Amino acid sequence: MIGHLATRRAPVTTTQPAAVHLSRVTRLFDGLAAVDLVSLEIASGETVWLRGWNGSGKTTLLRLMATAISPTFGGGGVLGFDLHKQRSAIRARMDLLSHETRLYNDLTATENLHFAARLYGVDGRLVETVLARVGLDEVATVRAGSFSQGMRQRLALARCLMRAPALILLDEPYAGLDVDARVVVDELLAAARSAGQTVVLASHEAPPPQFVDRELLMDSGRLAQAPS
Amino acid sequence: MILQVAQAIAAKDLRIEMRSRSALSTVLPFAATMLLAFGFALGPDRVLLTATAPALLWLAALFASVELCHRTYQSEAANNALEGLLLSPVEKGAVYLGKAAAAFVQLLVLLGVTAGIVIVLFGLPVGPSPLLLALTAVLGIGGLSALGSLLGLLAVRSRTRQAALPVLVLPLVSPVIIAATRTTEGLTQGSTTGIGGWIGLLVAFDAAFLAIGYIVFGHLLED
Repeated sequence: MIGHLATRRAPVTTTQPAAVHLSRVTRLFDGLAAVDLVSLEIASGETVWLRGWNGSGKTTLLRLMATAISPTFGGGGVLGFDLHKQRSAIRARMDLLSHETRLYNDLTATENLHFAARLYGVDGRLVETVLARVGLDEVATVRAGSFSQGMRQRLALARCLMRAPALILLDEPYAGLDVDARVVVDELLAAARSAGQTVVLASHEAPPPQFVDRELLMDSGRLAQAPS
Repeated sequence: MILQVAQAIAAKDLRIEMRSRSALSTVLPFAATMLLAFGFALGPDRVLLTATAPALLWLAALFASVELCHRTYQSEAANNALEGLLLSPVEKGAVYLGKAAAAFVQLLVLLGVTAGIVIVLFGLPVGPSPLLLALTAVLGIGGLSALGSLLGLLAVRSRTRQAALPVLVLPLVSPVIIAATRTTEGLTQGSTTGIGGWIGLLVAFDAAFLAIGYIVFGHLLED
């Protein structure tokens, strides 16, 4: 056991369906369970901190919620859509942010965001606004390949801000970030909270407590304690 | 929506190539060197040079397509941008069409330059039917782009990566190369006998590769 599970605040009570509902979800890689029989409910508008050591299964669990990978066993729903059958509907409403920023090195910051806007059907006029919001407006015409890791993360955050998805999945959002960029992550958490967006944040580093409704602990692919 | 997505993907791929020039800077010197080497190896025999030129031209196009499709997916693999395409709520077949369109444009430019080298170096005549020759180029490159864009994805997702692409592409694309070579050969020698059949074969393979690619691309992209 890595540590104890603490509840900072009562979970958000809502009449809406759960944003995330997983039932005995298991994901095997080469016969080994990265996520093992995880059952979980996250209410709409809730911010959950998923903690655990490296290799505990946090990233795999996020990627399962994001439909980037499929469960080997088990199932459930995300934002009211079936995890197996309605992937496209889930993808249209969520964003997964990780250290792999999914940016194109040979495109500028603006071009990367315009490309994402076209794929997601977002108004391209938002690009300038979100770039200014993450502090990248002065390097808008610079190629992403010449950005530092922190700047790339900020650009990925800008893409998330532009889309305003109902569910935001953050995988180690503070890793490799400078102080300014960490502030941007905190601002994203604050904005998500006030906009009623659901956030699942996987990190071994504690986010500011005022943004967290509930903590879940993962250990060896399992939730170490049932969520309250 | 499908066309819009395909256009966005194609524009993005072409912009990346224009910036990085990775395909042009590697594929063109390769094609030029290959043609030059064959030119010297075959000697000054004009008849032999013009007879072998169509096959060498399409061989250069084939190797160029393998390299180009590999590089296209390399830019998707960096920063795991490929997962961005997977997680976008768009028709995955449209992504395939966009990537095939971008590969088509790039290969057409490469074939144009390579053809220029072949005409100068090997003395290959354009023949009396330049439009049919252009149609052959379009259909041949269409087949190479359609198949390369599909199998490039398979290769980038496989553990063997680059080694897998030629192994997958070369056997499947052989009918396209044979048909394009025979058509080019006939047309440059001023003969249209049997050309209809070869062009029909090119159309059939292009249509089949595009249809298969459109249908299966999404399945290959998924986990």
